[in-house]
Amino acid sequence: MTEKLNKKIAYDVLRVRLGQIIINEEYKKGNFKIPIHLAFGHESIAVAISNIMENDDKLILSHRNMAYNLAREGSLKPILDEYFLKPTGLMKGQFGSMNLINPSKGVIYSSSILGNNFSVAVGTAMAQKIMACDGVTLVLGGDGSVEEGSFHESLLMFKSLKLSGMVIIENNGWSMSTRIQERRCPLDLEKFLMSYDIKYEKLDGNDPYNYIKKLSNLRKISLETHEPVCIEVNVTTLGDWRMKTPEFPDGKFINYHAGPTPSIDIKNYPNIIRENNEDPLFVMKKYFEQSEFDEMSNEIKNEITKEIS
Amino acid sequence: MKYIEFINNLIKKEVSEAENLILFGQNISAGSCLGGLTRDLSVSNNSKIINSTNSENSLCGFGFGLMMNDISSIFFMKQLDFLLLGIDHLVNTFNVIRNTQFKNSVSSFTIFPITVDNGFQGPQSSLNNFADFCSIARIPGYTITNKIDAEKIISSKLISPGFRILSISQRLFKEEIISPDELVYTNDDNSIFQYTQGNDVTVVCFNFSFPNGWDLHNKLKKLGMNVSLFNVNSPTPSGWEKIIADVNISKKLIVIDDSKSENVACNSLIEQIQNELILKKKIVIKRILSEDWVNPVSDIMIIDSENIYNELLD
Repeated sequence: MTEKLNKKIAYDVLRVRLGQIIINEEYKKGNFKIPIHLAFGHESIAVAISNIMENDDKLILSHRNMAYNLAREGSLKPILDEYFLKPTGLMKGQFGSMNLINPSKGVIYSSSILGNNFSVAVGTAMAQKIMACDGVTLVLGGDGSVEEGSFHESLLMFKSLKLSGMVIIENNGWSMSTRIQERRCPLDLEKFLMSYDIKYEKLDGNDPYNYIKKLSNLRKISLETHEPVCIEVNVTTLGDWRMKTPEFPDGKFINYHAGPTPSIDIKNYPNIIRENNEDPLFVMKKYFEQSEFDEMSNEIKNEITKEIS
Repeated sequence: MKYIEFINNLIKKEVSEAENLILFGQNISAGSCLGGLTRDLSVSNNSKIINSTNSENSLCGFGFGLMMNDISSIFFMKQLDFLLLGIDHLVNTFNVIRNTQFKNSVSSFTIFPITVDNGFQGPQSSLNNFADFCSIARIPGYTITNKIDAEKIISSKLISPGFRILSISQRLFKEEIISPDELVYTNDDNSIFQYTQGNDVTVVCFNFSFPNGWDLHNKLKKLGMNVSLFNVNSPTPSGWEKIIADVNISKKLIVIDDSKSENVACNSLIEQIQNELILKKKIVIKRILSEDWVNPVSDIMIIDSENIYNELLD
């Protein structure tokens, strides 16, 4: 990877992070009428996916699509305006957040319904095959969506119809306020996919450079073999906080699902949110000197401030 | 010719002439081919027939995915109640599509389920009200009941830009298809058909009750009564003006709806007529369900035409 590309990825991650911080600040002020799912901690996988996409690729997202849409669009204002439901929004204020698409950048469908989008992806991949299109369909789900029957049905169809596709499962361990172990038995996706003879890859560690390398290779395999691949990526959705109540004087743990998060403040930018690999900025920062990282952070801050002012 | 043979022939013609069309569904080219509905289909070289997995929800999403990417398709389905598994897509996915550039798509997606309305099918035949599916998201939907509407609807709707559901009645499969003598009127959308015109009484049929209405029409005619006979093929028609104008002349209305659901489409027409006209006679024939209505029992709707004739004379 060239130094130029190396920096571009870092800029992308910083842009998605700061974009979300600004959206969160507006959200805290009560300036949105629509429900929004922030995706702090999802920046690396979103930037990696966006960077491996080619012109003919199609991306199909879920309700927590913010990081991907920010990464694909490359600027905040059209998305911010969309959330404000303004005519100047990315989709003229007609889509809001959970269903936000961006057809000119390959994002053709986003569903607010768990597991709904997998089968639309199969249809899209079938259309690409029929039209002899040199593109791959990428579809995003979470660890909650793999519990839906449509996940299994769609994998079966992907495989049976010999379609190229990348099924990306973001495993953040939670479905709203319920941990996996609180709601179901463990599901070993690798073993499950083995039974379908579908290639499985696990991504962990939030290193966008490592992700890009692996995902590029998987994209190539899928395209060449006309087979789907499934990628399970461990993410931590940051933004949790502790709520003090008489019952919990030290604060009750609140997992972040949707809405504004009080635990992330723009005053702390560009500080990392969590001092470990759960925070993509912590991981990315290791590639740069502190001064260089600060300089890049400031550049992104100036760029976005100018854009939205 | 039998009802199902006639419809099968029309479908064969349409799909054989289409380019880049995907036909899919469970057993559509295997076994009985859905009781003959999809028997002997052949398609052009750039089209496909897929005997699909048993994945109704995903097959609905699959069709929408194809449609969003400019490929037309038809999803043939053995039973209307199987479509319950795809309701998410009928509401959520279709609504998203209607709000995007895909609403102007030239590609077609048609779901073609068979309404299981033979009472001996037991619990699944309780779902015989086609309007239930269409009304949940104002989905264009059309029933096929006789030779004339079959020709009109299949030629104009089976492969046409946009999404819709077409359905046929399993109860009629082995019956000779009804062949009305003439078509007096149909609207642009082919959602309302008029087959006869008469000043004595207006008969309007809903869901799959056209055979009952046709039979009643024939018997009243023999008794010297002139009947205007309408069939409402779509649960969400654009307007009732033509029917109301006819009732305004006859002042006598008979509505027949064979749906077993509580929420029947004919109520909308009855309400509007009552708001606009003063009737001399109104007879509404709906299902009267016995206690064993979810069991496998005969559920043929029997209409006492002589009694109705006498009522009309009162």
